[in-house]
Amino acid sequence: MSGTVIAALVDVLQIHNLFASAVGVVFGLFIGSTPGLTISLGMVLLLPITFKLSAVTAICLLLGLYASGMTGGSISAILLNIPGTPSASATAIDGYEMAKKGRAGEALGSAVSSSFFGGMFGLACLASISPFIAKVALKFGAPELFALVLLGITLICSFGQRSVIKGLISGVLGLIVMTVGLDPMMGTPRFTFGVVDLQAGISFLPAMIGLFAIPQILVGIAGKVPVIPEYNSKITSVLPKIRDIIKLIKAMLLGSSIGTGIGAIPGAGGPIAVFLSYDYARKISKKSDNFGKGEAEGVAAPESANNAVAGGALIPMLTLGIPGDPITAILLAALMIQGLVPGPLLFQQTPQFVYSVFWAFLVANIMNLCLTFSTIKLWVRVLKVPERILLPIITSLCVVGTYALRISFFDTGVMFCFGLLGYFMKRYGFPIVPMLLAIILGPNLEEHLRISLIISQGDPTIFITHPISLIFIIISIFSFINPLITPAMKTKLKNICKIWYR
Amino acid sequence: MKKLNIIISIVFIIFSCFYAFLTTNLPARNLPNTLGSDFMPWLLVICLFFLSALLLFKTLFMVTSEKCDYKISMKEGSGIIFLTILVFLYVKAMNMFGFISLTPIFIAVLMFISGSRKWKEVVIVAAVVTFGIYFFFSKVFRVPLPEANIF
Repeated sequence: MSGTVIAALVDVLQIHNLFASAVGVVFGLFIGSTPGLTISLGMVLLLPITFKLSAVTAICLLLGLYASGMTGGSISAILLNIPGTPSASATAIDGYEMAKKGRAGEALGSAVSSSFFGGMFGLACLASISPFIAKVALKFGAPELFALVLLGITLICSFGQRSVIKGLISGVLGLIVMTVGLDPMMGTPRFTFGVVDLQAGISFLPAMIGLFAIPQILVGIAGKVPVIPEYNSKITSVLPKIRDIIKLIKAMLLGSSIGTGIGAIPGAGGPIAVFLSYDYARKISKKSDNFGKGEAEGVAAPESANNAVAGGALIPMLTLGIPGDPITAILLAALMIQGLVPGPLLFQQTPQFVYSVFWAFLVANIMNLCLTFSTIKLWVRVLKVPERILLPIITSLCVVGTYALRISFFDTGVMFCFGLLGYFMKRYGFPIVPMLLAIILGPNLEEHLRISLIISQGDPTIFITHPISLIFIIISIFSFINPLITPAMKTKLKNICKIWYR
Repeated sequence: MKKLNIIISIVFIIFSCFYAFLTTNLPARNLPNTLGSDFMPWLLVICLFFLSALLLFKTLFMVTSEKCDYKISMKEGSGIIFLTILVFLYVKAMNMFGFISLTPIFIAVLMFISGSRKWKEVVIVAAVVTFGIYFFFSKVFRVPLPEANIF
């Protein structure tokens, strides 16, 4: 056991892995600090490169990006009042007010320190809880696994979406995409229309790059909608004093706890965590009146929360194979590229890799702290890079990146088709994450469903006679029905109240 | 939004019927106690049809607070079509002219339509990015990028 842990540490501390982590952190800071570019986009741009790397090097690179992208998002939130990532939304409230009062350096310092604290807290929870969840999940059979994947997809479809029905339609469309290619159990071709390239199915990588990157390119280049505003200001010192950090400990602890908890719930995501932590920090603070007017605690709580979300979201991804947000969905895809299948078996079959993930996350957080403090003035300048330069570069990277997957332009075509689909889906209020998750998890869903029905000789009650499977299915149904009935119930309650007051 | 949702739900109902038609061509169950290749597609046909009908019902008979800017301007629409054609031509011509000679032109055109008017900036960015991508993919990761095949 301890030998495996040490071997994993030695592996992560190899010079090429440290270099990969540093590259990931620098790229993450660039992506995070540039409004309009998301961490998910950064991840999909790096995915084709991970093909050529070992599993540990790839995870060092991607976790570096994940950790620093969250921190980078706060730079533009504080300086421009435009969050670089959705998770930095709450940071902008007090961070920007501090910057307006000439305390931009203090705000950035608080944000970076809190991000580090949140990241470490999330990692501690990840390392201590994951092995136990994996142990329990090892007892799951096909019906439980089917119900679990179904739960993951329905939670993502329904949680925080404007329209649950549209979220579910998006998920079903993703599952339909997944049915193209050879049937995983019988080997029969399905919906291939005689096209040889379609026999292997539609790879989730071009779909992912298309869904995340192309809509942004289309909006920026074709729509000519500015996403990167201009910024003119100077930053002095950003290193916070120890006594200032101690004053923020309560807010950071609160934010980290909420962030880890929310992050571990599939579908909940960072934006919910940061606003919840901001709200609770305001309620328990002695300076609650200063919130919204430039209070450092108002920066510390959401910033620690958004980095703690990363650790929390990795828990269901690593232990159950269910990603908590789009970023962990891409991480899941990256591991699948390496031939690793996240889930309880990962802990049993490749424990050294699991510990490597923990160490890589630790290294990423430390590198993030050091590199952000030492290069923050550079990232402030990055805000000035015009999108007329950035967007053509991203377009070229997408084309070459998808070509490099199988040395074929077929994937580039698939990427662009999904890009157009993603653009129209976004435009017409359809979330793209459920589709993405369905494409990634779809084959598992079908396999477990069919195995379960073979075991039960076609009897569907197998899913309700297994208690754990029944619980997951009840939660899935509830997550689907709840948002549909809640508005109707609210209207009914309002009417009752009106009658009551009359 | 109401009108748009009605159109979308009808489109998806038609699509689910088309998908059902395609599914009828798949081989059904041929072994006892197993499920055929058409099992999952049929399940998805039912789900998509049900959800589209639900969206239609909800839009017609229930109040919705959903709002979105669904109108695509002429400028944006033509921009999307132009970009699609540009990427298509770039990909198609790549096997003939090669990555090195075509990519700077592609980047320069993209920069121009993004609003870049300084020719020095366009030339430098196009050349540096092309060389950077070529070096990174071709030399570091040994991915064979398309070469000129015209002669």
